[in-house]
Amino acid sequence: MERTTELDSLIFAAMLRQGAVALGREKNLINDLNVFPIPDGDTGDNMLMTLKAGVSSLDCFAKLAMTAQTASSGMLLGARGNSGVILSRIFAGLAKGLQGVEVADTKAFADAMSAAVTEAYKAIPIPVEGTIITVLREGVEAADASQDINHYFETMLQAMQVSLDHTPELLQVLKDAGVVDSGGAGLLCIFRGMNEALCGQTSEEELIPTSAPAAPAVDLDKFNEDSKLEFGYCTEFLLRLMRSKVDLETFDEQVIIDYLNRVGESVVAFREGTIVKVHVHTFTPGVILNEMQQYGEFLTIKIENMSLQHNQNLSPLTSHLSPLTSNLSPQKYGIVTVASGEGLIKAFHEIGADEVIAGGQTMNPSTQDFLDAFARINAQHILVFPNNKNIKMAAEQAAELYKKADIHVMPSNTIGEGYYGIGFIDRDNPNVEENIASVTEMMESVTTGLVSTAIRDAEGEVEVHKGDYVGYSGKQMLSDSPVRTEAAMDLCRKLDASSRDVMLVFYGKDVPEEEAEHLVADLQKEYKNLEIILNCGLQPVYDYIFVLC
Amino acid sequence: MLVFYSDTDCDITPKECAEYGIKMISMPYTVGDKVIYPYIDFDVFDAHSFYDMLRAGTMPTTSAMSEEAYIQYFEPEFQAGNDILYVHFSSGTSNTFTIMDQAVAKLKEKYPERKFYSVDTLGITALSYNVVLECAEMYKAGKTAEEIVEWAKVEVPKFPMYFFADDLKFFRRSGRVSGLAATMGGFIGIRPIIYLNDEGKMVSIGKEKGRAKAIARLVQYVEELGEDVKAHRVVVGHSDCPEIADEAVQLLKEKFGEDLNVVTTVVNPTIGSHCGPNGVGICFHAKHR
Repeated sequence: MERTTELDSLIFAAMLRQGAVALGREKNLINDLNVFPIPDGDTGDNMLMTLKAGVSSLDCFAKLAMTAQTASSGMLLGARGNSGVILSRIFAGLAKGLQGVEVADTKAFADAMSAAVTEAYKAIPIPVEGTIITVLREGVEAADASQDINHYFETMLQAMQVSLDHTPELLQVLKDAGVVDSGGAGLLCIFRGMNEALCGQTSEEELIPTSAPAAPAVDLDKFNEDSKLEFGYCTEFLLRLMRSKVDLETFDEQVIIDYLNRVGESVVAFREGTIVKVHVHTFTPGVILNEMQQYGEFLTIKIENMSLQHNQNLSPLTSHLSPLTSNLSPQKYGIVTVASGEGLIKAFHEIGADEVIAGGQTMNPSTQDFLDAFARINAQHILVFPNNKNIKMAAEQAAELYKKADIHVMPSNTIGEGYYGIGFIDRDNPNVEENIASVTEMMESVTTGLVSTAIRDAEGEVEVHKGDYVGYSGKQMLSDSPVRTEAAMDLCRKLDASSRDVMLVFYGKDVPEEEAEHLVADLQKEYKNLEIILNCGLQPVYDYIFVLC
Repeated sequence: MLVFYSDTDCDITPKECAEYGIKMISMPYTVGDKVIYPYIDFDVFDAHSFYDMLRAGTMPTTSAMSEEAYIQYFEPEFQAGNDILYVHFSSGTSNTFTIMDQAVAKLKEKYPERKFYSVDTLGITALSYNVVLECAEMYKAGKTAEEIVEWAKVEVPKFPMYFFADDLKFFRRSGRVSGLAATMGGFIGIRPIIYLNDEGKMVSIGKEKGRAKAIARLVQYVEELGEDVKAHRVVVGHSDCPEIADEAVQLLKEKFGEDLNVVTTVVNPTIGSHCGPNGVGICFHAKHR
C-alpha cells in the first residue's frame, strides 16, 4: 500500500467525501444509539447533513488550507443538532490549525488535529466527558505522529475505538441504555472513511441524500410572469483577485466585505490567497458582479432566485415571509422559533412568532436555517426560542455569525416552554434585558409532559414496554399504557396537574380530534380548577404535548 | 314631567325599560360597512351569534353619535314640556358625550325653561346597569331629578367594577385600557384584571393565570372593598360565557350567602366590540372603587 507523507488539498477533499460516504452507510446504526426509548435519535442524520454541507461547498483549491477552510465554512452554516455543531467546530479547529498550509506533513496535520480538540472543547460551555469530544481528544492524544500520515490515522483510529467503547463507563445514561455515545461513534465513522480515502479506497457510491430535509426539484412556476421579486437572489461566487487590478500584497478584502454588507444581506465572505469566496443575498446581483470585477475575475458564479428556494424549502404555512430588505425602521422585537406540525406552526404564528423554522426533535434545523430566518426579520432584537436542547447550539452558532440584529437565544428546551415564553413577551417594553428576564422566569415555571410510543423496553420510574404509549417529562418516564389516553391521564396525575392553573394541550397528527376532546373533558372532570386550552398541533412523534403552567 | 333616559351601553334591555319606564338611546356598532342599532335593528340580542362572530375573527367598530341624533332623541321631550334625566355610560370611554353636550346646549337656547340632568355612571355594562337600576328605582319611587343627581354624586364612586378579558386584541385595538402589557397572554390563559377608576377610565391592575384564579381575584375585591354588599345588587356581566359567570356567582354566594342579590347581564354588543368574548366582570357596592 502506498504510504502518504504529505497531505494535499486533493487528498483531503477526497477524505472528506469518503468520510461522508462512510457515515452515510452507518447513519441508521448511529441514529439507533439512543439513550432514550423514544424515536428521537438522529445523531447520524445530523452529523451526515453537517458534513455534506462542507463537502458540497468544496471547490478545486490548490492549497490544503483553503479546502479545509471552505469545508469548515460550509459545515458551520450547515450544522444541525448539537453533534453537528460540535463536528463543525472540530473541522473549524482543523482549518484554523492548517491556516496558510499548502501541503501538510504528519507533524503539521497532528498539530492541526490538536487545534481541532481545543476548538471542540471551546464550543461547549460545560464539556461532558464520555461524548464525541472525549473520543476525539483521546484519539488525537494517542495518535503517533512520528511516522507517515497513514500511521497517524491508524493509531488514532485504534485509540478512538477504545475511547468509544469506554464512553459508557464515563456516562451513566449510556450504561443504563446499554449503548456507546452516538456522536463519538459518528466521529469514528467519519475518520474511518477519511482513512479509507487516505489508503486510496474511495468508493464510487453516490452520497445518498438524507431523509431530511427533502430536496424536491425546483418548481420554476413558483416565479411566474406576475410574481414580485420579494426575496432577491442567493448569489455565490469565487473571485480571483487580479494583479492587473489590485495590489495583491496590500489589498484588504474588508473593502469587499464592507461593500457587500452595504448592498446585500446574509453576507459570508473570506479570502484565501488570491481567491475571495462570497455568499450574499441581493436584489441586484449584476450590480455586485460589476463592482467585483474592478478587483478581479470570476472563477465560478451561482445565482438563484430565492423565491424558488423558499417555496422549495418551506411548507405553505411557514412561507410567511417578509421582504429581504425593508426601508421601514426596524421593530424592537423579532421572534424566531422552531416547530414541526402544521397546527403547532400556526399556533406559534398566532402567538406572535415572526418566523417558525420547520423542524424539531427528529429534524434539527441548521445554522443556515436560522440565519435565513433572521434575515427575513427587520428587528433590533431577535429572540430565538429553539424549543429543544439539541437545536440550541445551531441557534447559538447562528447568533454569533449574524451581525444585523442583536440575537438572544432563549433557554426554551421544550415546545411548551417556547410557546408559553413567547406569550409573555411584552412587545412594548423598551427594556430588553428586563423583558428577557421575565420571559425566562416564566419559562422556568412551566413543566412539559409528552406522550409518545416506546421503541424499546426500558426500566425507569415505570416499566416501559416496546410499542406502548409512554408519558414522560424531561428524561423521566412517568407512565406506560397500551391505551394512549390512559398514558396521558396517568402522566397528568404524575405531573400533579391539580396544583396548576392552566394546562395547554397540543394533540399530534396521529390523534383523532374526538379523542383529544374526550381526553380534555375527562381531564376537566378530574381537575375542576384547571383551565385546559386544547390546540390542534398535528405534530409528529408526540401524540400529546401537555404544558402545565 | 321628568323623562328617564339611559342607553344600550348600560346593558339595559327593553324588559327593564318597560318595567321602570326608561327610554333608551341606542348606541351603534359597525360590522363591515353595516351600522347596527341595538334594539332598533333587532328585538332580542343574540349574544351567542354576536360573540361567535368575534371569535371567528370579525372585529366590529363603534363610533360616536351625531349631534343631530341626540337632538332627535331629546327635542320631542322638550317640545312636549318634559325635562330629561339621562343616566349614561362612562364619558371616560367615549367622546360621544362632548357631542351630546353640544346638542343639549343648542336645545337649551331653543327651550330655555326645560331642564336636562345627567348622571355619569363612570362605567359600562354591569356597572352602568347597576347604577341605572338604582336610579330607576328612585325615579319610580317619585324622587326628583335633583335628588337622584345628589345621590349619584356620593354613590357612583362607590360602585366599582373589576373584570377580566380573554382575548386582548379587542382592547389593544381600541386602546381604551391603560397599563396593558403588549403580550399574547390570552393564548396561555393569562388574563389581565381591569377596573374602572374614578374618572370612568379602564385601567389594568395586574394579571392572573388561569380562569379559576381570575374569578377568585374578582371575588376577593368584593370581599376586601365591599360595603353594604348585601343591601345592593351584585351584578355579574359576561360576554357570552354563562358557565364562567356562573362560577363567579357560585363563589360569591359561597362567600356572602345564598341570599345575596346577584343579577347576571350579558355585555351589550357595542361594549362587546371593545372587550371581546369570554370576559367576566363584577360590580358591587364598596367603600370606594
